Amino acid sequence: MTVAPQQVTSRSWPVRVRDVTVRYPGGVTALDGVTLDIEAGEMVSIVGLSGSGKSTLVRTINGLVPVTSGSVVVGEHTLSTLSGRQARAVRGSIGMIFQGFNLAKRTTVLNNVLVGRLAHTPTWRTLLGAYTAADKQIAFEALDRVGILEKTWHRASALSGGQQQRVAIARALTQEPRIVLADEPVASLDPPSAHAVMGDLRRINTELGITVLTNLHLLDLAREYGTRMIGLRAGKVVYDGPAATASDAVFEEIYGRSIRQQDVLGG
Amino acid sequence: MIPTTTTPPTAGPRTSYLDVPPRPAGRWKPWAALAVVVLLTAATLGPWAIGFDADAIARNWRNGADRILKLLSPDWSFFPRTVEPMLETLQMAVVATVVGAAVSLPVSLWAARPTNPNVWTRGAVRCALNVVRAVPELLYVAVLVAMVGVGALPGVIALVLFNTGIIVKMVSETVDGSDRGPLEAGRAAGGTQSQINRTIALPDMLPSFVNQTLYVLELNVRASAVLGLVGAGGLGLLVDAVRTYYRYDQLSLIILEILVAVLVIDLVSSIVRRRLV
Amino acid sequence: MTTIAPARATAPEAVPPRPPTRILRNTALTAATVVALAAFWSIDIQWSRLTSLPGEVVRYLGLMFSTPSWDKLPEALRQTLRSVEMAWLGTVLGILLSFPLSFLAARGYGPAPVRAGLRGLFSLIRAVPEIIIAIIILSVTGLTPLTGALALAVNSVGTLGKWGYESVEGVDPGPVEAVRAAGGSTVEALRWGVWPSAATDFFSFWLYRFEINVRASAVLGLIGVGGIGDMLTSYTQYREWPTVGVLLIVVVIVTMLIDAVSGMVRRRLTDGSRER
Repeated sequence: MTVAPQQVTSRSWPVRVRDVTVRYPGGVTALDGVTLDIEAGEMVSIVGLSGSGKSTLVRTINGLVPVTSGSVVVGEHTLSTLSGRQARAVRGSIGMIFQGFNLAKRTTVLNNVLVGRLAHTPTWRTLLGAYTAADKQIAFEALDRVGILEKTWHRASALSGGQQQRVAIARALTQEPRIVLADEPVASLDPPSAHAVMGDLRRINTELGITVLTNLHLLDLAREYGTRMIGLRAGKVVYDGPAATASDAVFEEIYGRSIRQQDVLGG
Repeated sequence: MIPTTTTPPTAGPRTSYLDVPPRPAGRWKPWAALAVVVLLTAATLGPWAIGFDADAIARNWRNGADRILKLLSPDWSFFPRTVEPMLETLQMAVVATVVGAAVSLPVSLWAARPTNPNVWTRGAVRCALNVVRAVPELLYVAVLVAMVGVGALPGVIALVLFNTGIIVKMVSETVDGSDRGPLEAGRAAGGTQSQINRTIALPDMLPSFVNQTLYVLELNVRASAVLGLVGAGGLGLLVDAVRTYYRYDQLSLIILEILVAVLVIDLVSSIVRRRLV
Repeated sequence: MTTIAPARATAPEAVPPRPPTRILRNTALTAATVVALAAFWSIDIQWSRLTSLPGEVVRYLGLMFSTPSWDKLPEALRQTLRSVEMAWLGTVLGILLSFPLSFLAARGYGPAPVRAGLRGLFSLIRAVPEIIIAIIILSVTGLTPLTGALALAVNSVGTLGKWGYESVEGVDPGPVEAVRAAGGSTVEALRWGVWPSAATDFFSFWLYRFEINVRASAVLGLIGVGGIGDMLTSYTQYREWPTVGVLLIVVVIVTMLIDAVSGMVRRRLTDGSRER
């Protein structure tokens, strides 16, 4: 796993979202005609209040949520045309990080990180728990990259929240992803851990050149860690531009209300 | 200090100026439920149902009490004859637990919603299990003895069915109640359902599974002690013999042995459980 | 927390820490495997008889269910009702007996010797199968359904007592402390501190025990105390399979019905307590 950054960049994927609408069975419209072009290697913050559709948006990009209309193209794959097996293979190249870490708490850190190899492993090997030495080495490299290699054999539940989220990042890295999606990755963390995790995500982007899309609701994090920012409100894109220079007025436009204390992490 | 002139607030008519909201309706419901229970119980005690024949009890009392007192003086000389049946009981219990657990592991995953999203196969598995669970284990033995003959085999098969019913029900309910997030992470990583079940659902359900398996082992020792009553080998054969002759001193020894076995298993499983959490 | 691993252009081979040895776990697993293998190897079973089992199952299912003797249905229903009555009475008696005992057996409420005695009694009862309890009781009460009900009652005391004191001990101590702080006695603490949060548990234990007793009552018939078990034993002995088929159908349907009703009641009780 000693790939030079520029090679990796060429391996990372762009995302093309074309006029995507998602309507849930209950009748709620989560996304309403969203069109986006994200280039390979971009570091994007997606900002919006809860219920604005940003969770749905990242889940349409790895196909966990099917689109009602419109199309999503990741790399060269149009998601809606894929068979189940092809969809799993594509997802295998898209890492995802969740607000709640979503680790199997009662097993080891290593076993959790190896979940990232599922799409690259025959089912019988998974069932027997017989991962190849190469797969394990990828997992160790990933753990090393987020700085918790020494926790390899610990139970996931024995780790702090920040460490658990780093395990989750290592799991995503173990997929050798072309895109990493993060859905409110720091909403359950204290400020120092939050900055550490955001820093890890930025390094994934700058060092490995992987496209990173991060859902956030905190404006200072969005400004600090994204190069580009997309604002969602009620399922529509209401802002798309540079992150660092987005003013408070821009955020007020996205949130549809004035800025409050809770919209800033600090730290 | 100013002398206090306010009287302490007291309950009673003085509070009538307060605007107390009306009592919510439906407070009669618990009483109605109680009344139904009392009526049903009275009905079962009537002579047309179970009946309560005090005379017969009075007549039986003396000689029955004598027999029951025999329980207090176990016939230790009977011990050598109980060794082999006791061993068979334990063997049946262990074999049935192992097979039952092995069968239950995948079936539990098929029966739970997060690990089997397919409505039809899940429904079929659950339905079959409900039928299996509705038949008491001794009735299985009664029929199985006719099918495969007397001995440990019908007992083991009956216990396996019985165990699978219990383990799958309890474990699949745990899985149903567990956090779906980790499974979503598996899906997001591109795993198939069986890969996700193996790597994520399995470790999380394992403690509950081991717990139920140990519980079932205990149940099996108890149950296999009576399966012999209908021809399945083990201690039950002896129970059948001693009850015919009212040898309650020997029955007492058998009960003691079951007790010791169950307590030992209980002890071991509580140690395992404590380490498992 | 904020230590970030040094950035590296080319990562050298990451060297993981050595895996822990887990001696205890491995010993336990080995012991369990040895016991299981020993049981399999020593048990007196000709496993080859299993090969004929599928065929036999099909044959017997045919015997039982191809032409069920529906003329036995009224009698089957009557005997099933008898079994359910036994289960009901046994459950009610078991509740009445176990209810006070489970509080006495709970830590913090009963005196220590009483507590130990009761807990011992509960485990003793739980270790003895209900059929054996029935065999003991029948020398006084004879071969009647009452014996069955009493046996189930005794057996219920074992489980209900245990679940009861565990639930009482698991109750949030806050409300209890509040009642005590307001000058409440032990009984008042139980009524207003413990019962409001333990009540739902108790109700669902009772319902669950009733479900168990329904199954057990069918079994008790095997020693002749009446009910569907009685009928099943005799008709299996006469090898009258069409009748056995009817009996099994009745047992399965009635048991599942009772489970469903009891489950519904339990859900309503637990949901109701959550809304309040």
